[in-house]
Amino acid sequence: MKKTKLSLGLILLLIFSLVVVGCGSKEPAQPDEPLNEENAGEEEQGTVEEPKLGGSIILSTTTSTENSGLLDFILPDFTEKTGIEVKVVAVGTGKALQMGVDGEADVLLVHAKASEEEFVAEGHGLERFDVMYNDYILVGPAEDPAKVKEQANSNIVDAFNAIHEGEHIFVSRGDDSGTHKKELELWGEAGLEPEGAWYVSAGKGMGDVLQMADEMQGYTLSDRATYLSMRDNLELVIVTEGDERLFNQYGVIAVNPEKNEQINAEGAQAFIEWLLSAETQELISQYGVEEFGEPLFIPNAK
Amino acid sequence: MGYILEGISDAIKLLLSFDQEIYTIIALSMYVSFASTLISAFIGIPLGFILGLKDFKGKRIFARFLNTAMSLPPVVVGLVVTIFLARRGPLGQFRLLFTPAAMIIAQTLLVLPIIMGVIFNSSRDKGTEVEKMCLTLGANKLDTLLILVKEMRANILVAITSGFGRAISEVGAVMIVGGNIKNHTRVMTTFIAMNHSMGNYSTSIAMGLVLLGISFIVNAILYGRITGTGD
Amino acid sequence: MEITLKNIKKSYNHKTVLNIPDFRFTKGKIYGIIGPNGAGKSTLLKTIARLEALSEGEILYNHQPFRKAILKDMTYLTQKPFLFAASVRENISYPLKFRQYKRDEINFLVERIISEFSIEHLANQLATKLSGGEAQRVALARALIFNPQILLLDEPTSNMDPNSIEIIEKIILKYNQNKDKMILFITHNVGQAKRVCDEVIYLENGIIVESGKAKTVIEAPKSENLRRFLALEYYVN
Repeated sequence: MKKTKLSLGLILLLIFSLVVVGCGSKEPAQPDEPLNEENAGEEEQGTVEEPKLGGSIILSTTTSTENSGLLDFILPDFTEKTGIEVKVVAVGTGKALQMGVDGEADVLLVHAKASEEEFVAEGHGLERFDVMYNDYILVGPAEDPAKVKEQANSNIVDAFNAIHEGEHIFVSRGDDSGTHKKELELWGEAGLEPEGAWYVSAGKGMGDVLQMADEMQGYTLSDRATYLSMRDNLELVIVTEGDERLFNQYGVIAVNPEKNEQINAEGAQAFIEWLLSAETQELISQYGVEEFGEPLFIPNAK
Repeated sequence: MGYILEGISDAIKLLLSFDQEIYTIIALSMYVSFASTLISAFIGIPLGFILGLKDFKGKRIFARFLNTAMSLPPVVVGLVVTIFLARRGPLGQFRLLFTPAAMIIAQTLLVLPIIMGVIFNSSRDKGTEVEKMCLTLGANKLDTLLILVKEMRANILVAITSGFGRAISEVGAVMIVGGNIKNHTRVMTTFIAMNHSMGNYSTSIAMGLVLLGISFIVNAILYGRITGTGD
Repeated sequence: MEITLKNIKKSYNHKTVLNIPDFRFTKGKIYGIIGPNGAGKSTLLKTIARLEALSEGEILYNHQPFRKAILKDMTYLTQKPFLFAASVRENISYPLKFRQYKRDEINFLVERIISEFSIEHLANQLATKLSGGEAQRVALARALIFNPQILLLDEPTSNMDPNSIEIIEKIILKYNQNKDKMILFITHNVGQAKRVCDEVIYLENGIIVESGKAKTVIEAPKSENLRRFLALEYYVN
């Protein structure tokens, strides 16, 4: 009798906590009110040139922009110019887009063009702009058991064929990210079905996957930025690069402000304008040169 | 509320789908957590008793150390195990990283201090009392040990269930040392974390509910077992 | 059986709580140990029972140093009795099991002591669920069942009602009716000491201030301290 009561109580508690969590997610805390008041005060003080907007925006982006260090490099400039603080949520492209759909982010910086266009077409976002591109590379162990470097150093489809044929270990992101999608697209292009013990689906971010590939002495598809930033700790080397099919276009999209009242449309607009400005584009092209001897992202805003 | 209802219906669908992958994940979770709990129990219960009852120099410091170890951050444990098992690490030759064995090792390091700590602390309090009582009644060492186990079966149960609870619910260590590899080292918690990061909220919630249900059932069974054989 | 205390000292953190240069307990007597709180009464019993180690000195059992075999012939009953999480009947049978008694013998002795203590109604209950007084009674039954030569009792009736106290006092007196046991008995109740004990020891600050025949010590105290203690006890009771 006592036991049934106890378990009943536990079930009620579980349901109660789920309900609380559920409701909680629907009504986030008061949206930055103190901040708005603060900068209202500033405006009253009458700073003439460049009225700063203040407040904050949530930028949902892929792990590659954050992990590569690009955002740390360029965002202070934005905050300085506009007074807007950027809260970066770095996730896979799938989740980044989902956050847009849920209205939990103000602006997206992602790299899966087809999905992005679909996102805008469905009315979740306002408009998509090209920002920059980087490229993917195929990395593998220095011994290169599949002889990719010899035979396919600029042809990714041939490279994939060689790995598939020899059943050499290939670590896949497996997390529905932009990189994962790209990889699947390339397998498709090669007309291959990646399956078997050699194909390791990790479900993890780029940094983790690079480390896993390093540890397992396997191949993986990586964005150049993340690889370069981690190169010192890896034994992996680039085996294929420069194939046009490996280029990776980043786009920026403001989330449709009609999603909910908390979306900071003004801040998102300011962010996009700043990101596409000539000055910022120049800043992007400088990033990585000092550290790696080459830029990690090539700006191409129109 | 929509999320939650969707999650619950997805949880049912997930289980009824008879998807091989889902069952592999659940089975692996159970295997890894049970194995690490079992190993920890075999080492931790006797050791906890011995150290809890014995007076030795530095016992207090040891107790503090053990209590800290009971709440080791899984991520740190994962990291340390990775360092040891990595190809470049001292145990690299066994090629254990990203295998279920590595996950069991990591979880054992998490669970062992919990089981040992619970036994250590309770035998230090209650155990010495039982031991003294046995002494006054003329019990020998073996009698005392049997009485101790009997007297403290509730504590042993608490130790095992909290150890298992820690193992099955922990994500940081298994994520790092296991690598969340599909059909190989992917367990319920890493599946949840991965699906969440992919934006598949309802799948995460669904598996979360399955996980909750399983820990509830396992606890209920363990509890029934041990209290059942009691009196 | 005889117990000799030789220059025993017990200290905690450099504070001496027990200091007895020489004392002898002999067979066939019930000793009442009285004294204010913190006088070292329990410590004395615990050191004799080997539950606490001495800081200095030695306790001789039958003129010989301690041997493990002594434990089979001695028991100590704590102030708050600790009963095992099992039935009362099972609790009482443990000391016999520890001594490898046969099952028939165990059953016989357990039933006999249960009726002697009038605790038939408790026999099947879980021992950890008993009230303080009931637990004390069960613990005493468990202590007496194996017929120990040395019985160390730490306020065995402190939580009992007058009726039960009477039963227990009778049992204790009966236990030594053949003058072949040694009982050391801490009590707060001076009247009880007078009723039950042959000799009384008055302890204060770890020192034996007075000792002798129960009647003499209680009715004609020599020291001022004991007089004051007795006056206070009579006043309280």
